[in-house]
Parts: sequence; C-alpha cells; structure tokens
Amino acid sequence: MIEKVKVNSQRINISFTVNGEQQQLQVEATKRLVDILREDLSLTGAKISCEIGRCGACSVEVDGELVNSCLMRAYQLNGKSVYTVESLSENGLHDIQKAFLEEGGFQCGYCTPGMIMAVKTLLEKNKKPTDEEILDALSGNICRCTGYAGIIRSVKKVIQAI
Amino acid sequence: MADYTSNLASSRPRPDGMGKVTGALNYFTDLQFPNMLYGKVLRSEHPHAKIQQLNIEKAEQLPGVLAVITSKDVPGLNGFGLITQDQPVFCDQVVRYVGDAVAAVAAITPEIAERAIKRIEVTYEPLPIMDDPESAMNPDSTPLHSGGNILHEASYENGDVDEGFPLCDVIIEETYLLPRQMHAYMETEGGVFVPERDGRLSVYAGTQHGYKDRLQLARILNLSEERIRVISSPMGGSFGGKDELNIQPYGAILALKTGRPVKIHQSRRESMISGIKKHPMKITMKTGAKKTGEIVAHEVRIIADTGAYATLGPAVLDFAVEHAIGPYVIPNVKTKGYAVFTNNGVAGEFRGFGGNQITFALEGQIDRLADDLHMSPLKLRKKNLRQGTDPGPVGQMIAPTNGDSLVLDEITQSPLLALDKRDSDNPWKKTGVGVALTMHGGGLGFGRMDPSGGKISLNHEGKIEIAFGFEEVGQGLLAVIENITTEAIGCSSEDLHIVIGDTDKVPHSGSSTASRGTSMIWHSLQRLKGPFKEKLLDTAAKRSGYQKEQLCVGEKGIWLNGQRILTFEQLFLENEPISIDTKFDFPTTPNSIPGGHFLYSFAAVAVKVEVDLITGAIKVTDIDQAVSAGPVVNPNGYIGQIEGGTIMALGYTLLEEAAMQQSRYTTENFDTYILPTIQDIPPKMNVRAIEDLWEGDMYGPRGVGEIGTVALAPAIVRAIYDATGHWVTKLPVSREEILHAREMVF
Ligand code: FES
Ligand code: FES
Repeated sequence: MIEKVKVNSQRINISFTVNGEQQQLQVEATKRLVDILREDLSLTGAKISCEIGRCGACSVEVDGELVNSCLMRAYQLNGKSVYTVESLSENGLHDIQKAFLEEGGFQCGYCTPGMIMAVKTLLEKNKKPTDEEILDALSGNICRCTGYAGIIRSVKKVIQAI
Repeated sequence: MADYTSNLASSRPRPDGMGKVTGALNYFTDLQFPNMLYGKVLRSEHPHAKIQQLNIEKAEQLPGVLAVITSKDVPGLNGFGLITQDQPVFCDQVVRYVGDAVAAVAAITPEIAERAIKRIEVTYEPLPIMDDPESAMNPDSTPLHSGGNILHEASYENGDVDEGFPLCDVIIEETYLLPRQMHAYMETEGGVFVPERDGRLSVYAGTQHGYKDRLQLARILNLSEERIRVISSPMGGSFGGKDELNIQPYGAILALKTGRPVKIHQSRRESMISGIKKHPMKITMKTGAKKTGEIVAHEVRIIADTGAYATLGPAVLDFAVEHAIGPYVIPNVKTKGYAVFTNNGVAGEFRGFGGNQITFALEGQIDRLADDLHMSPLKLRKKNLRQGTDPGPVGQMIAPTNGDSLVLDEITQSPLLALDKRDSDNPWKKTGVGVALTMHGGGLGFGRMDPSGGKISLNHEGKIEIAFGFEEVGQGLLAVIENITTEAIGCSSEDLHIVIGDTDKVPHSGSSTASRGTSMIWHSLQRLKGPFKEKLLDTAAKRSGYQKEQLCVGEKGIWLNGQRILTFEQLFLENEPISIDTKFDFPTTPNSIPGGHFLYSFAAVAVKVEVDLITGAIKVTDIDQAVSAGPVVNPNGYIGQIEGGTIMALGYTLLEEAAMQQSRYTTENFDTYILPTIQDIPPKMNVRAIEDLWEGDMYGPRGVGEIGTVALAPAIVRAIYDATGHWVTKLPVSREEILHAREMVF
C-alpha cells in the first residue's frame, strides 16, 4: 500500500531558487519536490496524478530540463533553479498560454500546467521544432481530455509566431 | 505534418481559461484549510470475504491520529448508490470487491494516516470468488446480494427472428468481448470537508451533480439536506466517473467526528481499485440478410459485468439494449441483456453509456455481412438506414431526424475511402481503411426522472447572473452557458456572472451527464430570455420615461436608437428584484419504454490504419469524422469534445484495459494501464460538424460529450480486416493476435 517511499528521513537544509527567488528550507531529505512546491511554497500549479513519473502533471523545469517533480527529492535540490507554471505569467500571459487559450489546448486543465512547462522547455531549446520533435517533447505528458489535437494546434501557433 | 482541422471557426477563450493556463485555478485537491487533517480509507484485502474481526485500537493509539471510523460511526444509512443504495459506506460483515471500504482514519499528516491504516487489524474469511458473470448467473451460484446475481434484465422484441432467419441468404454469428476501461480523469477523487461554525458541513469535492451528492450525504449523515453545502466545480475530469459518490462519505464523517477540516485525495492506485469503470460486456449477435443486402433478422445477447454493486448498471444495460439495432431498420429483432453482479470492480456510468460496446458489435456485424455479400460497407448501411420520420430503435416515437443519412453522406466524401489501396514498399506494413456509423441517445430517457432548469437575475453589481446546477468537469460548460446566454439576452460576456457548482446558490438542473448539459442550457434560455428581457425593459421604461417598445437590451445595458441610456447597474433596485427561473423536463419519448430516448445525435467515422506485421502494432494514421448534433454552440468546445472522445476511444480500441485476475486488478497505475499519449494520435484528424436539423425541429443543440467516443472502435477493426484479412472480436486489439493472424494469412 506504500504510495510514497517513506524512509525514516532526516530533515535537511536546502537552498535553491524557485521562479528566480532564493529559498532556504528545512525539510525531510526525501520530501518530493512536488510536495515542497505545493505544501511549503503554496505553488499548486504542479499537479499530482500518478506519482510514478508516467503522466507529467507535476512537470516543472529544473536547470533548464523538464522534470517530473514527483520523482525529485529534497536532497537533490541544493543549488538548483526550479521554474513552475506560475513563473510564466508574471508579466502578463506568455505566448504559449495565449495559444492554449485560443486554440483549445486544454479542457479540465489538470494536465495544462505540466503540458505548458513541457512546451516551454522544448521551445527554449529549439525554436523551430519539427513535428517529430514536438511529439517527442510532449510524450511524457498525458492529457485525458483534449485528444492532444488542440495542444498540437496551440504549439504550432506559438512556433509560427516566433 | 500534423493536421487537425474542422469546418468550424475557433471561438473566444473559455471563461475558465485564464486560471487553467496560468495554474492559478485551485482545484479542490489543491485546497488547504487551517487545522486541516488528512483522511485515508482502508479498502478490502479480498474480493470476497467475511469480516471476522475488525480491530482499530492500534490505529487509534498512534500519535497524530484523531479519528478511526468504521460502520459503527455512520450516523445514518450505511449505503450509497445513485439509484439503489446497495453499496455499504463501510462493510462490517462481508466484502464484495477489492474497493470495499472497511475503515477510515484522519490524522495530522498524510504519512501518519497511512501508518494508522496499516495498524488496523482485519481478519477475513475468504469466500469463493465470482469473477465470471456467466457463472455468477447460474442459479446455483452464491448470491452476492439478496436478490440474486442478476441485477437487471432487459429485452426488446419485434417481429419474429425465428421466421426471419430462414429467409436470409447470409447469416453472421459472432461474439464480441469488450474490456473494462478506466475513466482515468487526471485529477483523482478528492476534496476537503469542512465543518462550519453554524453546524453545517461544507463539501468541496468534484461531482457531476452537486444536489445528488447532497441528497446521498444527507441520508448517510442523517442530516437534513439544508445543513450540507456541496461545492462541486470545477474538477480535473470525470467522463461519467465522478457522478457516483466516491470519497465523500468518508471525508464527511471524519470531518463531523473530529470537528476539523479533512482532506482526502486518492492516490492513483486507490482510485483504480475503488473507482467505477466502464462495463465489460460479452455480446453475441446473429444477424441475417438477403442477397439484396436487406437485413432481415437480428438476435442479440448481452452479458454485462456490473461488478459488486448496482450504481447505474441497469440504465447502462437498458441503453445497450436500446441501441442494439442502431440506425437501421430490421423487421425481426430479439435482444436480451443481463447485468450481472460479480466480485469484480464496480462498473457504472462511463461516457458512451453502453453505446460503445453495443455499437462495436453491431457495426462489426454490418461489416461482416457486407463482406459476405460482396457489397460495399457504405452501401449496405445506406440500404438499411432508417428514414427521417421512422421510429427509434426500440419502436418508440422520436424527434424526426435524418442525422444518420447526413453523416453517412458526408463521410462518403472522405478521401480516405477513395484511397488507392497500394501498400507501401515495405511488405511488412499493411494499410487498411474502415468506416462506421452510430446513433446515440441524449438525456436519461423514458421513465427516469429528468428535470432540469435554470435561473437568471440582475444582481446588485449590475451583472446578469445566470445560474445552473450543472458542473464544469472540463467539458467547457461555462463557455456553453456564456455563449448561449449572451446570444439569447443580447448582452456581452462581461455583463455575465455565471454561477454553478454550489448547492447554496444554484437551482436544480439535474446531472451533468448523458450529453444533456448543452441541450438543457439552451432549452432553459429559450424559456428565460423572453420574460427576463421583458422585465428589464419594463423597469427601463419606467426609469427612463421612454416607451418600452423603443428600447432593447444590449451590451452593458439598455439601448435606444443605437445609444445606451441605462446601465444594468442603474436598473438594479434592492426592493424590485428582476429574476426569472424555469423548470421543465428533458424531452422524452411518449412511449413507455424504460430509458427510451427521444433526441439522438449521430456520427460517422472513417479511419486509415497501418498494421506492422513484424510487431503487431496498429498505427491509426487518419481519422475523418462527421457529426450531426444540431447547431454548434462553442466551436472549440465542440471540436475538443469530439477529438478528446475519439482519442479516448482509440485507447479503448488499442491500449486500455483495467485487467483483473481472480477479481483483483493486475494494473494499478499508468505504468501498466496504458493511456494514449501524444505519440499515439493520428497525424491527421478532421471533424465536420453538420448543424442542420430536421425541418421544424425545436430542440436546438444536442450535447457532443459522448458521440465522438462511439464509432471509432468498429471502424478501426474494419480497417485492420481490410489490411490483414483478420477480424478482431476482442478489445483492446492485442498485438499477439495480429501476429498470430499473420501466421494464418501467409
Ligand atoms: S504525478 Fe508526477 S509524473 Fe504523474
Ligand atoms: S485538459 Fe484535462 S487532462 Fe488535459
């Protein structure tokens, strides 16, 4: 019945940045990044759905890479730079968010923060991805509602605008 | 190049879009309350067992645990179920499936709650497991419930099949096996239960029908309904799965017992084990036709595995029986269906509602007949198609419609069907095309209480407040309300304040199910708009001194000759409230056929697949789809429902199965329950919406939540046959079967 790996875990001090802001926390060494974000920092954009790295609902960006935050733990966070969906709209809507709004890239919205972070990390590395590269980059993010077509339309809209 | 097109223009962003794309929207499972506890439910270790002993002492003693509850703590009825309350909140004598709850705890952290659960000691005496509905039906089998193991029987007969079959030149007899599909809403069941200072209980948990949850909880808690407030939208998906109660009874009892807010959020594994699923069905059909293609006789037997409890099992079976001949005219029909209790996972409401299973079998029969008759599958369908004013599939009177022939004509134009079947240079890759058709009833049907309604008023902020008891499960209900209301009233979207999902604030509209939401919202506004505008204009005339006839309702207020003379805010007066409500029933057929529908929508699907003969993998490369469901209310929502439903059906056909062995799930999370990813979708999908309705049809837009999920599976299976010469009868299509078939073919 164990859902979360629960070792008798010590509390450790970690220092890392979240959305550009320095954070010093004392947490259990094995606390998951997704729980740190949601519970300690009240950033609930990253969602919990499978907790085994298969759905991407918890996707955030760590040092420029897309990461399932349900799989990363406190002891791996020191010195890291984490970005969550909340960072995108700090200065008005990001182009990716606008495109999702206009093209129907979401329905229930539960996969959306993770999906948008996946698109963001892709486009940061590769401004003109091919179809295959888009599919590859988003293949770890499950959406049960849209059938992905609206998501692909959204991504293409962003790429065209670049 | 990925290409996802339709004949619809895109629409303005949904009202709930901002919160969703920014991550700012708080789902109920995101909520935190001061002093909040965490709840967890202990489910059964066995699919079928007697509970000999239940000891909670050690759990209670664990520091940080504030409550451990069992059946003794249920203040009222120890049972729930949308129709029959046969599922215990907590079992105390017998457990009937692995999702049965035995106890629950509330603790200060989720970790402590989990540890406490492990300290609860239950001694079981395992009982024989009934994992096969057909043996469970056997009169000698141990009954799981006092009424025996047949939960429900349904049948339909017309003409005489025994006289019909001898007249046939071709008879096809086949058995089709349909899997247990999981809704797999991305947000698992969860929410927060808050005891309020005034003694009331607030329930923050997603559902498809807040008032129904309130009623069910009132019975369980032994509280009057008014003392419970259910806040129920939005949520991270439902697809039928959250219409029935899930964690609400446990959270509610724990909150009342501890006097503190309690949050429960099921893990995916807990969700998989306890959540309802789509009914696995075994459908045998015998269908006969003359050389000319005229279908003469059709005999159907349906066995639906409904699992341990009733929930909506009977209604799902009725739906399957009703749709057993689909849009075709067959003079001799005999359909018999059984929904059977087993110790397997509970099956209940699921998008498609029995239509997916029965259509898979029916369209499979039509395709096989066509093949035997050397006739084009499209031509055979056309030949046997009902006419616009013909009765419905169980002989009932329905709203006249030729949606079936419209979608069939449209799909005939699909370039996929004209495909020159030249296989690629690779001899190990075969391509094939298939087409299928479906007719799908909307609303709950005859004999089931199906009231709806809404309320419109001018509020103190000068906003037009439009309220419904419907829920936003992700389908885009808010956009539908916005579009229909602004169009009916003539105001702008900024003038609106939409209220849903809170039993303290909304009128009764019935459940957000059975593709009825859009339809009922439209019907409500047809009734509300006249009297409401009338009242607004009366007040405006009084206030301005102009003649009422000179004025009209427009953006941000009342207009005269192209000029706004009063804002809505100026119209509001505390002592002269402007408010109209409406109540009515979903239109049903006048014929007394349980569940018989009156309004139908239609879809035809053409697909192209590529079969890899080395791996057995099936790749769907193209899907063309024509849908007839009346006028489109919100283009993005419409395409989204069809595309999303289609890919859910693609999962059903090729990937998904909540498999069980000996009544235990063998898949418990997304590592073994395989959902379609973005890599699985076809590079091309087209949706054509046909908006025309039968002349004089007054029923407006029909919902499209389900229609996209129905016809894909048979079309894919036909395409696989086209490619390989092998007929698949069991979903999801297994790669081993394809490889095995390759051996046979070559
Ligand atoms: S919740 Fe982290 S990948 Fe699913
Ligand atoms: S929008 Fe619901 S899961 Fe993607």
